[in-house]
Amino acid sequence: MGVIKKLPVYAEKVPGGGIITTQLNKVFTLTQAKSLWYLLFGTACCAIELMATGASRYDFDRLGMIFRASPRQSDLIIVAGTVTYKMAPVVKRLYDQMAEPRYVLAMGGCACGGGPFYYDSYSVLRGIDKVIPVDVYVPGCPPRPEALLHGCLEVGKKIRTQKMDDWS
Amino acid sequence: MTKAELLDYIKENFSGELEVIENEHPEPYFIVKAQDLVEFSRFIHDDERLLMTFLMNLSAVDTTEQFEIVYNVCSYRFKHRIYFKIIFDYIKPEFDSVIDVWRAADWYEREIWELFGINVKGHPNLKRFLLPDDWDDGYPMRKGWQGKNVIPMPERK
Ligand code: SF4
Repeated sequence: MGVIKKLPVYAEKVPGGGIITTQLNKVFTLTQAKSLWYLLFGTACCAIELMATGASRYDFDRLGMIFRASPRQSDLIIVAGTVTYKMAPVVKRLYDQMAEPRYVLAMGGCACGGGPFYYDSYSVLRGIDKVIPVDVYVPGCPPRPEALLHGCLEVGKKIRTQKMDDWS
Repeated sequence: MTKAELLDYIKENFSGELEVIENEHPEPYFIVKAQDLVEFSRFIHDDERLLMTFLMNLSAVDTTEQFEIVYNVCSYRFKHRIYFKIIFDYIKPEFDSVIDVWRAADWYEREIWELFGINVKGHPNLKRFLLPDDWDDGYPMRKGWQGKNVIPMPERK
């Protein structure tokens, strides 16, 4: 019951018994937001920062975030790094392979909008939102791990405002 | 071998014409005639006092009048290395593949073919390498190239 005491917003105790009532939607979205398994998609320097965030110092795991190597098992794709025109179809395809509901976090200037390669570049896609829909943008070159953690919490917030049946 | 020894040895034993570029580096630097390229490569690769078996780098330079292809090779056995380059003009850019001498030249030559538009004679697998398969926008590494999708850097105020 310790957990339930901490969740007054979601649960109401029925007096005199170990029974609570809540809405199914709240339980579903809460559990979903608290266990975001993410697909590693590191293509350049930002991936190093993503690794640092996953390692013990910043510790992604405490948010229930575990990386998966397969798009079929992940809820979130963290695009960390420069995406070239040649890589763009690959991002699209990985996104298409993920099961719904799925979320996209664009990490770093490159994934958000071309970053340092915006000008004078023949090969770099100017932002992954040209190929897949992005939920949260985390700018920076590279963003610090704290910024990435904040971005992931924002994804969680977004999930919790959704309805069970408007997943897309 | 030291730099001076290497220079003398190569100049004495190679039958073709060689030009030496004087430089400060601890390695000798040659200009090889474009038609002698494969022969020269074969020579430094096979000669038992040179044994340059490792092609470290191969790159192209566009000087807007001519192309230069620069080779860095070294020897694992003797721990010495040399640079050499070939020069040819802009009108009909092509050079011979050294893939039979160093297998490592494969990807470098494909890259040069793709990004500079220089034909590599005798390369068995000239296919798109770094650019998308349906690329039709010229050769991005050439000087003066302007691509359709490129946004030029704005003038600094
Ligand atoms: S935003 Fe900066 S750090 Fe991140 S991939 Fe691009 S260049 Fe690298």
